[in-house]
Amino acid sequence: MMISPLDRKLLRDLGKMKGQVFAVSLVMACGLAMMIMTRSLILTLDSTRSTYYQKYAMADLFATLKRAPLSVAEQLATLPGVATVETRVAVDVTLDLPGLSEPATGHIISLPEDGGPQKLNRLFLRSGRFPRSDERREVVLGESFANANGLQTGNSLVAVINGRRETLKICGIGLSPEYVFEARAGETLPDHKRFSVIWMNYRALAVAYNLDGAFNDVLVDLAPGASPEPVIEEMDRILAPYGARGAFLRKEQPSAQRLDDELRVLTSLSFAYPLIFLSVAAFMVNAVLARIVRLQREQIAQMKALGYSSWQVGRHYLKFVFVIGFLGTLLGGVGGRVLGASLVDLYTLFFRFPALQFTMDYGALGWALFVSLGASMLGVLTVVWQAVKLPPAEAMRPEPPADFKPSLFERIGLTRWFSPTFRMALRNIERRPWQAIFTSVGLALATGLMVLPGAMSDSIDYLLTFQWNSQQRQDVTVFLTEPSSGRGFHDLSHLPGVIRAEPIRSVQARLKFGQRHRKLSVTGIAPAANLNRLLDEQGRAIAMPEEGLLMSAMLAKVLGARIGDEVEVEVLEGRCPTLQIPIRGLVTDYAGVAAYMDISALRRLLKEGDTVNGAYLALDHSRWDAFMRSLKDTPQAAVVMVKRDQLAAFRETTGKSIGIIRKLYFVLATIVAFGVVYNSARIALSERSRELATLRVVGFSLAEVRGVLGGELAILVLLALPFGLLFGRGLALFIMSSFSTETVRLPIVIETSTYSIAIIVVLTAAVTSFALVSRMIGKLDMVGVLKARD
Amino acid sequence: MTPATAPPPISTGVVFEARGVRKVYQTGELDVVALHGVDLALNAGELVCLLGASGSGKSTLLNILGGLDVPTSGNLIYKGWPLDGADESKLTLFRRNCVGFVFQFYNLIPSLTARENVALITGIARDPMTPEEALEMVGLTARMDHFPSQLSGGEQQRVAIARAIAKRPEVLLCDEPTGALDVTTGIAVLEAVERINRELGTLTVIITHNAVMAEMADRVLYLSDGKIVKSVRNETRLPAAQLKW
Repeated sequence: MMISPLDRKLLRDLGKMKGQVFAVSLVMACGLAMMIMTRSLILTLDSTRSTYYQKYAMADLFATLKRAPLSVAEQLATLPGVATVETRVAVDVTLDLPGLSEPATGHIISLPEDGGPQKLNRLFLRSGRFPRSDERREVVLGESFANANGLQTGNSLVAVINGRRETLKICGIGLSPEYVFEARAGETLPDHKRFSVIWMNYRALAVAYNLDGAFNDVLVDLAPGASPEPVIEEMDRILAPYGARGAFLRKEQPSAQRLDDELRVLTSLSFAYPLIFLSVAAFMVNAVLARIVRLQREQIAQMKALGYSSWQVGRHYLKFVFVIGFLGTLLGGVGGRVLGASLVDLYTLFFRFPALQFTMDYGALGWALFVSLGASMLGVLTVVWQAVKLPPAEAMRPEPPADFKPSLFERIGLTRWFSPTFRMALRNIERRPWQAIFTSVGLALATGLMVLPGAMSDSIDYLLTFQWNSQQRQDVTVFLTEPSSGRGFHDLSHLPGVIRAEPIRSVQARLKFGQRHRKLSVTGIAPAANLNRLLDEQGRAIAMPEEGLLMSAMLAKVLGARIGDEVEVEVLEGRCPTLQIPIRGLVTDYAGVAAYMDISALRRLLKEGDTVNGAYLALDHSRWDAFMRSLKDTPQAAVVMVKRDQLAAFRETTGKSIGIIRKLYFVLATIVAFGVVYNSARIALSERSRELATLRVVGFSLAEVRGVLGGELAILVLLALPFGLLFGRGLALFIMSSFSTETVRLPIVIETSTYSIAIIVVLTAAVTSFALVSRMIGKLDMVGVLKARD
Repeated sequence: MTPATAPPPISTGVVFEARGVRKVYQTGELDVVALHGVDLALNAGELVCLLGASGSGKSTLLNILGGLDVPTSGNLIYKGWPLDGADESKLTLFRRNCVGFVFQFYNLIPSLTARENVALITGIARDPMTPEEALEMVGLTARMDHFPSQLSGGEQQRVAIARAIAKRPEVLLCDEPTGALDVTTGIAVLEAVERINRELGTLTVIITHNAVMAEMADRVLYLSDGKIVKSVRNETRLPAAQLKW
């Protein structure tokens, strides 16, 4: 293939500046890799989820109730818009595993009572088989729990089913689209060791809970195009007499909601963060090309004198950008693929699919190329335009000495005592302010990028202290299978090893304010509660008002309500009263949303006595095992949450994944910092080689000459740092608030050490890059440079 | 003792003494011999012209004399101190304290005014004159606070000379100092060089293509093929103002 002479020149010019080409492409590649990685993860999660939901018939609507006869299901099936109805029995039981001191929770879901296949939320069998229809004790066990506890088909486990210890035989291991995110209701973190979904035959379960011929859980699939709201209204009407807690949409279902949240976080990450990398790269491309054009002034004149058109010359220089952009996209594409493929495994910590295969988003690759080239092109158009519009005769004359004037500082008399070299630096910066600004902006962006990873880890640290030291002081939270009288609380508080116990009375309710509503439990706690404390943003305890609600600040935001507003609380249990209760305070918390009341006030509203359905317990740690043994033998205890385990689960899941992402960001930001400084130093060196050689000739030592170049760079770096830190703070605020969802939030905490690390890394990058470049100063051909014409 | 630790007094003795100085450049696989064993003695206060065709080795010799380069072999003694084999830091100090350079392209720092360009040297040299004195010697007192872009070519070259002599160098080396200038401004520059040679007693070596310029020298050395082929001593030096070309 014939390569045109201009392209040959292009290749050789690029070869001569390969260090810079690589630096710019690498920065671009970092941004693109992030973008491609996140877009591909979004595609992977989204497409895997759709396929899973579709293939395994994820329901559109969900409702739980106390007890309804099976005939009610037929009523539901006739509702307009309803395609399929599936009824189930679903209960929480305590599991007793020999290897686990504390009790685990099992959520048992019945298989169809007719023994036929499931119509909705179908089970995917990883191994084994479904229970035989005549087998009462065979179960399919959730995969993550089975893996975490080393259980297999053929093993058995003990469950306390309605107060009776039963040995269940595992005939299969499975998972369901309903439990992609497998966690206890209301829990924001999976705890695979202590929570499992279990499927078993209808009869055995229904009989045990006195639900034979009845159901307490229903799934509905809508006909294509049917609107869900009227169906929900009708369902609520039909199911209300049976103790229903209100039907809800798939998007409100905890597992689906969690997946949506994750996708939302990824989406915001896929734009904001890469965009900054690409902007930095665009600045760098501009600087590189501006330099080439300046240095090749005479060559441009020659080309035009030889008869090349302005368009041909312009195209030649734009090809530099193409090559850099193409290289960046290639590196970024490969990097994004590799990163995505290795990070996709992180999602298996949180989400369970039959298979999670990384899917590369090639569309994103196209966008990436378009965006990066677009940004770079915009950056260089003016430079190229200036190059091509120069008349050949003028371009062939050497450029007159650059026009300088005393810098602003000098004109206002500030720099009388500055050394000539420092004045050189100041005047250079002032003469090409845009170049200096571009370099500084690039550096500031690089500094800002360094703040985010540190801020993430600061926030996690703060969260751990806040949530598990300041807020939750209990060791264990126990919920009862059924609300009980004061006797139940008395029993719990007298278990061996309990030092302090505080009662919980929680009810499911729908909170409404204006058009917005949320379904959650309203928790009544003792006014002087000292175990599960309610804290404000500064970590100070909030006093429980005698009446009225305290709620998560996030909940108030979601509802659009403020302190003093009255919200409608529709209790979804018992006599289901609807109450107007004012908000009295906002609680800072970082997982889920909650509403609290004084336990006595709640009981008064519910018109009940000293009812409890759980307790916060502080334990004497020396009697830990004795406590857990007794708890396992307490049939009323349905859900046991051990703080220690939750903390471990947090570190294992969220902590781990944020840790990995943090490291990744850190590496990428470091690359950018190095790239920007190296590029700036290279450009400064090539533009100033004549000056530097002059200084060498007149007797400046190598160190002094390095000082001249270094001084200018140092001014730019120091100028950039404060802006960079400010920008980093803004970026961290923006990105971390986009992590903020109803299920999980990150407090935004940035420690001074994070800023210091950002500064240290950028300065190290600056010094190292400068050291690389200053080695070239040593190799400057003094005589050659000086005898050449400008 | 090195040039850095003891200031050599301005004297009338031999400043440079070269014996068999050879310089070989390796360019790719080819060795290019730029100097073929040069023997030479240059005295204090002399004004010497180096004449020769392109590639004759004039610039190489000048660079070696000025400490911008080192000989491949042979000896070069500056006032008793060997420059051959000197390391980079010694050469830097030698250039800083003992040598002034003037090039065809003025190589001023565009971001510094005339005064500041000179101050660049007076800040680091051992016993400099003030920038004002140096600029006065080249007749630029009135233009001291102008930037290079505001000066004519001849003025820029005179600033370069002021910069070169502000350190009171023992040696002033000029490589085609008038090459980029017209006759009138060229002569003004040579007058400045002549004045410095005369008033400061600085050994001055000028490289030129222009044979006319040889008339202002004490001695003319003709180079060809890397060797000094002829040395002519002028009975009388013609003042620069009377040169014509």
